[in-house]
Formats: sequence, structure tokens, C-alpha cells
Amino acid sequence: MLEVKSLSKSFGGFAAVKGANLEVEKGEIVAVIGPNGAGKTTLFNLITGVLKPENGKVFFKGEDITGLPSYKVCKRGISRSFQVVNVFQRLSIFENIQISILSRERRTWNLFTPSAKLAVEETNGVLESVGLMAKKDRTTGLISHGDRKVLEIAMALGGNPELLILDEPTAGMAPEETSRCIELIEDLSRKRGLTILFCEHDMEIVFGIANRIMVMVRGGTVIQGSREEVRSNQAVQEAYLGGSDAC
Amino acid sequence: MDLIYAILSPKLMSQIFVGLSRTVILFIVASGLSLILGVLRIPNIWHGSLYMVGAFMMFTISGAFGGGSVGFWMALILAPLGVAFVSLIAERSFFQHLYEREHIMLLLLTFAFSLVFGDLVKMVWGMEYKSVPVPQIFQGSVHLFGGLPFPLYNVFLLAIGPIVAVALWLIVNKTKIGKISRAAAVDREMVGAVGINVSWVFAFVFIIGCLLAGLGGALVAPTVNVSLGMDQTLIMEAFLIVIIGGLGNIWGALLGALIFGLAQSLGILIWPQFGIVFPYAAVTIVLLLRPTGLLKSTW
Amino acid sequence: MSKSTLGGKGRIVGGAVLILLFLFPLFLPRFYIYLVSIILLTGLLATSLNLPLGYGGIFQFHHAVFYGVGAYGAALMITKSGLSPWIGFVVGPLTAAFLSLIMGFICIRLSKLYFGMLQISLGSLVWIIVYRWYSFTGGDNGIHGIPVPDVISSQNSAYYFTLLVTLVSLWALHKIINSPFGSTLQGIRDNPVRSAMIGINVKLHQLVVLVIAGFFAGVAGSLFIVVDTAVFPDMLFWIFSLEVLIMCLLGGWFTFLGPMLGAAIIICMRTFVSGFTDYWTLPLGILMILVIFFLPNGILGYIEEKLHGTLVEQTVKE
Repeated sequence: MLEVKSLSKSFGGFAAVKGANLEVEKGEIVAVIGPNGAGKTTLFNLITGVLKPENGKVFFKGEDITGLPSYKVCKRGISRSFQVVNVFQRLSIFENIQISILSRERRTWNLFTPSAKLAVEETNGVLESVGLMAKKDRTTGLISHGDRKVLEIAMALGGNPELLILDEPTAGMAPEETSRCIELIEDLSRKRGLTILFCEHDMEIVFGIANRIMVMVRGGTVIQGSREEVRSNQAVQEAYLGGSDAC
Repeated sequence: MDLIYAILSPKLMSQIFVGLSRTVILFIVASGLSLILGVLRIPNIWHGSLYMVGAFMMFTISGAFGGGSVGFWMALILAPLGVAFVSLIAERSFFQHLYEREHIMLLLLTFAFSLVFGDLVKMVWGMEYKSVPVPQIFQGSVHLFGGLPFPLYNVFLLAIGPIVAVALWLIVNKTKIGKISRAAAVDREMVGAVGINVSWVFAFVFIIGCLLAGLGGALVAPTVNVSLGMDQTLIMEAFLIVIIGGLGNIWGALLGALIFGLAQSLGILIWPQFGIVFPYAAVTIVLLLRPTGLLKSTW
Repeated sequence: MSKSTLGGKGRIVGGAVLILLFLFPLFLPRFYIYLVSIILLTGLLATSLNLPLGYGGIFQFHHAVFYGVGAYGAALMITKSGLSPWIGFVVGPLTAAFLSLIMGFICIRLSKLYFGMLQISLGSLVWIIVYRWYSFTGGDNGIHGIPVPDVISSQNSAYYFTLLVTLVSLWALHKIINSPFGSTLQGIRDNPVRSAMIGINVKLHQLVVLVIAGFFAGVAGSLFIVVDTAVFPDMLFWIFSLEVLIMCLLGGWFTFLGPMLGAAIIICMRTFVSGFTDYWTLPLGILMILVIFFLPNGILGYIEEKLHGTLVEQTVKE
């Protein structure tokens, strides 16, 4: 479904991503791991149009989406959550998700219908499925960090994506929140058939739910393979045990 | 030879020189504004008021010293210092508390100060025009360019300009505090993390910037009617100059002032009624071509 | 806060104010009628600014240009062509909207700060041209004695016309803010990256907002002609733009009626304080400083917070 070939991006002299490769099949859960600074978030930014790559290509469902701006990438069926929480802090939780849905329905140009009446059922549905229904009217700037991360994912869902990209979804979460989040991700994959690409530092989670794992070191792809392949790979062991810290 | 004379006609050269003297004033004020914008990221609308206060203080102080040459030189030193002092108080009492807020708040605070000072000047000095006499050594003109007179005071301004530019460049690039300021412009958190008191660095830069505004006002005083409202058009022009020069860039301010001043002089020569439109048009053209300014900004 | 959430009490107060507004000409002296007219149209101008500013997060630093262009457009149309003034009143806002489109198109490619600066430069250029083009625009005198249709030429009828147009415009703006477009706009304000990531073409939405804001600023400009029968270059001056900006801040730029309140306060201050003393900008400056430090969300914003207890901290925006 998603194919990344030799993607590269530098900032000044610094090569953040250098010839990265990635493959994600439909229905899979793929994890990207690597030491800090390996370029995981930059890679996600390149795929989703937040940054423009200098070299390489990105294909989604066979189509070349290299360098497309974010909103067009989203309309093709890719949604994303951010590592640093990126939500609409002055609006309520309900409105955050609602906008995401309205955007998908191309209703953002509607100037005169009161938005309070639109897409209510669907928004409530999403709220239920992520467990935020009780807090739906609270202003997003005031809710807990864990809830905000869940909201991040919920907003990405509003676009009815085929591919969901999650950037460190459990970062900063407390243990119960983390397991709730993992359950949610697994649910999305199994029940909704969503293809999921994520990156994480917590190896338990990664090896727990990922079908395949891609390892990045210093901007490049070291290996992409199954859990066993990755675990037993020399270069990976060096990268992780050779002094660089995880988390 | 005839062609050269035609191009370098006395009238043209004279106009250019007049433009250059105006450029000096604009440069001095704009460089201060650019410093403040570049390092503190404050669009300092109050700058215009400080320019005006500098001019009015020039009037009062030179009068206090008898109005002659002594008065002029004393005022030229004391007026900018007075302005700097006022700005120090304002910065420590008000501005420094807002550095963490959105820029628009700081912009509106400087606007509020300009409103307050607009009235304060009115209260202290009244509503009539004031005149500052040109000191004796600068009275009269020098005859250049085919006999057209060129005021000696303007020659003085043309000399002062480069002096201020070089002094500023030395401070910003060669002194320790200048280097710290430039670092703080790019990353204030890092500078704070290394143990430097960023707050006082900001205060220093702000005061220098305001001092320049006062200096500009003091210098311009003998050449114009010192009046209320001189702050308003000047602040707009100064901002435009800073914008086209590149935020925080002293040489950019010089370049911008040159473009502005010369465009105005040439404009008046070519099309007297609309001469004053030329600098604004020049600014717009520059920005359309290079929206971030001609030279590198510090952001 | 995407809606004017003053609740039940608010409706009663609002209704009372409306009734008062309609009854004013019956008992208020002439000068006050004029004053209220000015407050209404300036409030509309401020509200139109608040659409991109408070709801869209776009730092529109020179909004007065559209007000002035709308007014001059209408004035020139009325005085130079032979056509009916009504056409002039429509041409004004359309001109403003068109200018807004062009300026927006040029400026929107840039990030926040440079957008503001290019706008200031373009706006200043328009101002200086109007200021100097004596033969066409009346130069620094402006244009006086603009003929206004008889039906709205008396002071009371001018007042009612202004009131009506302002109310309709506010209603339209309110609808827009509460629509999906309005929600999208606020999303863009809060987080443009996020908005893009959920499929929103941020720049295009922002451009549309600017055009709408420009249009209603032009409407305010046309109303000024109805009330004052004159136009002045000061309407285009940058300092005036900053004043309108303060109106939004003072009243509360995250609320719908805040800008109107801000306009009322500033105009009243200017009128009444300068009756006593020459120094009216001093109290305004002091008021602004107090608001900036203690009521950063404006007066109405503060009231809303008290009523609803929802304090959202202002984040540092770069």
C-alpha cells in the first residue's frame, strides 16, 4: 500500500533522512524504530507532506504522492497523529473531531449552516470508540495529556483513512493510558481493517503488536522484517546495545 | 562630457545630497528599530514617540544652556541619554514581563505607550511648533555642484551617519554583549541555559535601540519644525525601511534608508506632486521581489 | 469558544439593547444619534477585522485599507459617475473585497509576520497615493458633500439605515463563524499543521476569510458615507488600523461582540474625554496597558470566562 524508496532530506549540512526505504502492506501493522535522532519523525513528515523530500519517492496505492502538500496527502487516504500534541486547543473535544469529519466530507466551505447540527452522530460515534464521550464538551487546552494523545488519534480517524500513521502514540502516557491506547490500535487494525504505521520507543509495545518492523539508524533504513528477523539482526543489536539510548 | 554633465546635473546631485541627509536620520532611527525587532522581536511602535521626545528634549536642553553652540552640543548628548533613561524604566517596569506572550501583545503595548507619550509630549511642551536653532559653526551653506548651496548642517549629518553606522557595527559585532545579543536573537533559551542573564541583555539592546531613536530626533530637530505628529509618519517609514532591509540587520537598515531617502528625492525631482509616493512604491516593489528583505535577517 | 455563549441572561440583555437602539432617535439629541451611528459602523469594521484576527489567527495589521478603499470606492463612484448612489454603496464593498483578494493572494504565501509587513507596505502605498492625488481623490482634504439618496439623507433615516445594515452584516458574520467554515477557520487558527493534516487547504481558506473581511470592512466604509457624507485619507492611515486592532483586543478578540464593545469604548472615550481635556490618548493608552496586563482576553472575554469558568491559557505563538 505504501512504498517509500530512497527518501532523503537534509537541513543545512545535516542529513536527517538519507536513502530511507519502507514498505507497508494493506492491513499490516508496521513499526519504525531507531535511536533518538534517527529520523523517524522526519520520515513521517516527508511522507505526509509536512516537509518536501530532496530525493526519493513515496508511492501510495500505486500513486506517486512525493512532495504533495499535507492536505492532499490526507485526501488520498492517509491520516496522521503527531508526537507533540497538535490539536485545536481553544475548541472542545467534540469540535476537534467534528472538524476532522467535516473536512473529509468537504463541508468546510459551507458558510451558513450551523455546524452544531452537522455530523453529530458520526462525531459521537468516534468519541465513543475512543472513550472520550464523557468529556466531549471540555476545552481541549484543559484536558490531560493522555486524553489529548487519544484525541490526536481520534482526529486522524475522522478522515476515514486507509493508512494511519502514528508518531509515538504512547509517549508521555501513564501505564493504564498506554494499555488503553494499545488496545485501541489493535482494535482499529482488526475491526476496521486499518493499515497502521507507527513509531515508538517502547520495545514491548513494538514487539507486541507489530507485524513487521523497520529499523532506522542515522537517517537510513537498516532492515525491515519480521520480529525475529529484526531481533536477530547484527546491525540492529549494535545500534541499540552500542550505547545509544532508547526513550 | 556633455552627457556626463547632463546626468550629474547640479540639480540632481543637490537633490541626491538632500536625500542622503534625510537618509542619515532615517537610518539612525531605523537601525534602532531593527535592533529591537531583530533581537527582542518586538515591533516597537513606541519608537516614533521616542524620536519625537528626542527632538523636543533637544529644544528644551539647548534652550536651557543658552541656545548657542554649547546648548546644541550639550543637548545632542543629553537628549538621547534622556530618551534612553526613559526607555530603561519602561522596559524594566512593563515590557520585560511580556516577553513570553504573543508578539501582538508586545506590539500593542508599544502602541499604548506611543498613545500615552503622544499626550505627555502635548502636556509638557504644548501644541505649538518648536524651533531649534542651528549652531553657529553649522550655519550657512557650502557651495557645491555648480553653485547650488548645500546647508553645512546637512554636511554634518552626512558625516555623523557613517560614524553611527560604524559605532553600531562595532558594538554589535565586536563587543561581548553584542555577540551575546546576536545569539539571543536566534535562540534565547539556549543563551539563558548557558547562565547568561538574558533579561539584562534584552534591556541593553532595547535601550540602545531607543537611544538611537532619540538621537535621530535630536539630530533632525534643527532642520524641521519640531511638532506633535512627527512620530506618526516617521514610525511608518522606519518600519518599512526595517522590513525591506531585513529584520535586525544594521546594514539592511542603511540600505533601506538609502533606497527610501533617494527614492523620495529623485521622486520629487521627477514628479513633484507625487514624489513622495516613490519611496512607498520602491518599498512595495522590493518586498514583492524579496519578501524577507534584501539582506539576511536575524530570525 | 466558537459561539457567543452568553446564554439566557445574554439574550435578555441583547434584546433590551436592540430595543433601545431602535428607540434612540425618539429621545436622544442629534449629536448622540450621530455618535451611535459611528459606533455601529466602526463596530462592524472591528468585527470584520476580528474574523481573520481572532477567529482565524491571521495578523491583519492594516485592515483600515479595506475600510478606506470601500469608502473611497463608493465616494468616487457616486461623485464621478452619474449613477445612482445605491450602486456606489455596492461598488464600495466589492472594490474592497477585490483589493483584499489581490493583496491576500500576494501576501498569503508568506508566513504570519511577513504577511503583516507586506500588507502594511501595500496599504501605505494605497494611502499615500490617495493622499497626494488631489485632482482625483481630493488629496488630504478628502471628498465632501457626497450626495446620498433622499430616503436616507436625514440624520434619523441615516441612523436606521446604518443600524439595519450593521445588524444584517453582524448576523451574516455570526452565521459564518458558526458554520463549518467558521469551525475550520478556528482550527486553522489553533493549529495550521494539524488542519492541513486533516485535509484542509489552509491557504485557500485563509484567502476566503480575508476577502470576506475586506468586503464587510468596505460595507462599513459605505456606511460612513451615509452618516457623514464625506471621506478622508485618514481612514486609510496605519495608525487607524492599529486603533481598530485595539478595539478587538479591548473588547475581547475571542468573542463575537467584543470588537463592537471595544469600538464603543474607544469612540466614547475619544468623544467625551476630549470634551474635558485635550488629552484623550493618554487615558486610552493607560486603559490598553491595563487590559494587556490584566485582561488579555479583553473585557467581554473576561466576563465570559467568569461565567463559564473556562480559562484557556494563551500559548506562545512564534
